[in-house]
Amino acid sequence: MSAKTNIAELSALLEQSRAAIIDEWKRTVMDLVGHKYPGVLSMDELHRHADLKLAAFSAYFASCREGLVTVTKESPLGKMVYDLSSDHDTRGIKPVDTALYLVALKKAISHQLVCAFPDSQEQFVEFLELLHGLMDQLTILSFDAYATTREKVIAQQSQSLMELSTPVIVLWNNVLLLPLVGVIDTIRARQFTERMLEAITRHEGIVTIIDVTGVPVFDTGVARHIMKAVDAAQLLGSRVVMTGISPEGAQTLTKLGISFANVISRVSLRAGVAEALKLVGRRIESIAGAN
Amino acid sequence: MSVLHLSIRNESDISEAVRQSRAMAGRLGFSTTSAYYIATAASELAANLWIHAGGGMITLQRHGARGMELMTVDNGPGIADIDKALEEGFSTANGLGCGLPGVKRLMDELDIASYPGVRTEIKARKWL
Repeated sequence: MSAKTNIAELSALLEQSRAAIIDEWKRTVMDLVGHKYPGVLSMDELHRHADLKLAAFSAYFASCREGLVTVTKESPLGKMVYDLSSDHDTRGIKPVDTALYLVALKKAISHQLVCAFPDSQEQFVEFLELLHGLMDQLTILSFDAYATTREKVIAQQSQSLMELSTPVIVLWNNVLLLPLVGVIDTIRARQFTERMLEAITRHEGIVTIIDVTGVPVFDTGVARHIMKAVDAAQLLGSRVVMTGISPEGAQTLTKLGISFANVISRVSLRAGVAEALKLVGRRIESIAGAN
Repeated sequence: MSVLHLSIRNESDISEAVRQSRAMAGRLGFSTTSAYYIATAASELAANLWIHAGGGMITLQRHGARGMELMTVDNGPGIADIDKALEEGFSTANGLGCGLPGVKRLMDELDIASYPGVRTEIKARKWL
């Protein structure tokens, strides 16, 4: 028997046993995961989902000419699985439970196939193969959909982290402070350099303090980025005071033969602030009469 | 855990190698300064993988009873002239030119085996 005939017959069979499949699937899903999400999954909704899914299955089988065609995320069936996964993700349903959804559907269909085909073993095996071929594709798609949703979340988070992480603070007239916290990669280096130069221009920064206390490891990559930023700052007429290099960082830089010529370095931010104020002709004094 | 394999494909993988090597060095009993040296060496080696080799693997592990080894393996273009790559200030890709010689000074031993276009293996060790 040709694959096409098999597909047509499988499709017809699914159509016939639709009610039974939906019923069994709903019950399995409710038993397995329903109790974990009270109020989120309802029988009515599951019924609607199952109905739509089986309709999409029929449409899919109708589109298969010679054997199964690949389900892409653009095809109606693929899109349905994709939407289901991202919808579940936004409603707090765990991916493992979404996978159970699909597994339960496969089970329900297989079960109906067994009921409908007690005698013809050969065709039963072929039907099962078709069904597995399709369900496996759907499972992979749903995994992909979940990963895509997650990646989007991660990208958004790193974006917001980036926006938070490089503030430029106006410490005093013409004195700017840039606290660097965390890993300095190419993107962050570009960003803090841009922000620093913008601030120097806007506030006529005479002194810029770059504090690296929060940079975990001061390696040549970080050194190169900071050197470039320092050069650019100096072209705009701002002196640079660097603070917060750890003793280990200092030894490492010496070993590597990196010296920050043109940069005034101070051990702590406090010493750096004092130096910066001195450069603009100010100093911090105690108020007369106070302790 | 005394062996850790990390795949270096993106720039963010470099900082993971730095974090992990520093933590491992600390666990193995290296001083803060030595751990910082090892982490910096890991950073240079991982950056080399990312910049020059189009990615590779870095393995961090205990070496013998009193040492730690950083090993990188890649299938990139390789190092044509190892002596030259170890020269101070030599850089092909516009770096500060202290990558490999820097690693050599930060660590106690450095072995490089390169079969250009096939496989490059670098081992850097430091003793307690």
